[in-house]
Amino acid sequence: MKSAQSAQSVLPPDTAKPLVSLRHLSKHYGSFKAVDDLALDIQEGEFLTFLGSSGSGKTTTLMMLAGFETPSAGEIQVEGRSLVQVPPHKRNIGMVFQRYSLFPHLSVRDNIGFPLSIRKRDAGERARRVEDMLKLVQLQAFAERRPSQLSGGQQQRVAIARALVYEPRILLMDEPLGALDKKLREDLQDELRQLHRRLGITIVYVTHDQEEAMRLSQRIAIFSHGKIVGLGSGYDLYQNPPNAFVASFLGNSNFLRVTAGGHAVARFEGKDVAMRPMPGVSAGTDLLLMIRPEKAQVLTTEMAATQPLISGWNEVSARIEEVVFLGESQTYSVKTHKGCTLSIKALTNGLPLLAAGTEVRVRWAAADACVYSEWNESDLNKTTVAI
Amino acid sequence: MLLTANAMGKGLRRGLFLSTALIAAFLLLPIVFIVLLSFGSSQWLVFPPPGWTLKWYGQFFANPQWMDAAMASLKVAVLTTVFALLLGLPTAFALVRGRFAGRDFLYGLFTLPMIVPLVIIAVAVYALFLKLGYTGTLFAFVVSHVIVALPFTVISIINSLKLFDRSIEDAAVICGASRLQAVLKVTFPAIRPGLIAGGLFAFLVSWDEVVLSVMMASPTLQTLPVKMWTTLRQDLTPVIAVASTLLIGLSLAVMLIAALIKRRNEIRA
Repeated sequence: MKSAQSAQSVLPPDTAKPLVSLRHLSKHYGSFKAVDDLALDIQEGEFLTFLGSSGSGKTTTLMMLAGFETPSAGEIQVEGRSLVQVPPHKRNIGMVFQRYSLFPHLSVRDNIGFPLSIRKRDAGERARRVEDMLKLVQLQAFAERRPSQLSGGQQQRVAIARALVYEPRILLMDEPLGALDKKLREDLQDELRQLHRRLGITIVYVTHDQEEAMRLSQRIAIFSHGKIVGLGSGYDLYQNPPNAFVASFLGNSNFLRVTAGGHAVARFEGKDVAMRPMPGVSAGTDLLLMIRPEKAQVLTTEMAATQPLISGWNEVSARIEEVVFLGESQTYSVKTHKGCTLSIKALTNGLPLLAAGTEVRVRWAAADACVYSEWNESDLNKTTVAI
Repeated sequence: MLLTANAMGKGLRRGLFLSTALIAAFLLLPIVFIVLLSFGSSQWLVFPPPGWTLKWYGQFFANPQWMDAAMASLKVAVLTTVFALLLGLPTAFALVRGRFAGRDFLYGLFTLPMIVPLVIIAVAVYALFLKLGYTGTLFAFVVSHVIVALPFTVISIINSLKLFDRSIEDAAVICGASRLQAVLKVTFPAIRPGLIAGGLFAFLVSWDEVVLSVMMASPTLQTLPVKMWTTLRQDLTPVIAVASTLLIGLSLAVMLIAALIKRRNEIRA
């Protein structure tokens, strides 16, 4: 996890009145529910990211916030006032689009000044604020150029300046860095985080890139099929995913099918394993354990013999199927005797790599494994990208 | 490309060059002949001209009938351009952005005048205007020309609207512009090349239109091509070559302007 934990600064307390409230928000296209009875509070000053795959409803929700889509049902409120009937040009919301969407016939300066001239601000104020914005996004030297004479990163900075110049309280960003290459994207992510810290503006950001969501946001809302299926800091969502979908969507995960034996013990492949207490679960219920690849350990049988199992930890036997060395870490793909495959990630520590075919013991702490009693089978085999 | 100039055999390249030159000559020769004849001293359009003179140009500009026809042509072409654009613009917006039943059918309808034989349109319009008593009026000329010019403006504006990223207009709206302001301040400037191209096409269509015009013309109101047509049926004066040269000259000028505007837009874009 390369997420910037330092950015997870203190959120406003939950008791604070939210800046934006979405209630029972829905958008239907015929029988397709793009957004389905959504509820969400957005706090003033927070950086919130809508994360989800395409078609999950994240962009539709953003477009309803902007006013380009009309909700089929439900309510959007800003400080208690309904926004649903307010046309987009009167919402005083800033927005940065995926393809920059700069005005091709205007210079950088006039692009940034456009919202002010529409608002008929006097020339002096306009010039001063455009100059401030040019400085903020470090484009003073490019003020007279046209958008087509700028690089993708510069164009996106112009778009950000244009969205900020009229000091909106909310800034919407629709996959604004999607078209840029990786290095530039990471630079702009850092710039954006600093900008957010400096201006204290509320940012709602849409992306399908989980690493980007982790890097930028204080809170992440994970979208699936028009609903928010996980909401919280990147740290919480990764460490304690609320459900199997979030677990498999965010980062990599191993799923173990077990049967409840008691409220804190389960049977896995004929062996008792300890698990987090599940109050009220009856013996015999099918459960799912989720273990992150870096939370499990791989030990050779000799190592396992000399290192006693700490209380609260579990151990199962397995055989290494494949080893992938990645430099700072290595990934072992192991298979238990009954055919359950696990992927385990270990930091490179100077010990020799274990070879495929080695008999090993896999250990994990019961506290590190999330337990789910309900899940969709389709959620378990997401193709996830390692982060 | 599979067949590049370098990959071709020498003989094939020469053959292609020759055929291209022949086709170009075939297309250009009538124009060259007409322009040369307009300066020729012979009264009978003899080629090659026995000598050179400007007297036919003098006759053209001294004759109020020719001048009236030229002015009428200009007036009709300008008005046709204006109305073809005014009608074409909302039509193109509706056809590109509208989501309604029968949109594709409507698109077909608007492009129909390009496909239907001109003489059929001419007869139909003539019959209608004869009944209404509008033949021989400026109104009749402009309306009939707009019918055939409209497909050009519609198609040209549709093409540039389709290339225009609508989120740019949305960006203007979220910046505080109403939808109308956004269209006027952002969309129109962005599709201007399409508007200009469509307008120039409309002008040229009207400028050298003869089939409809012959039907609409009256002794008091006729366009330059009509005047040429009627004059040609009576005698074969080199003044017709002068009128042709002027027609070609203005068409060339319009196309030159279009090319210059296109180049300027490419430099700026």
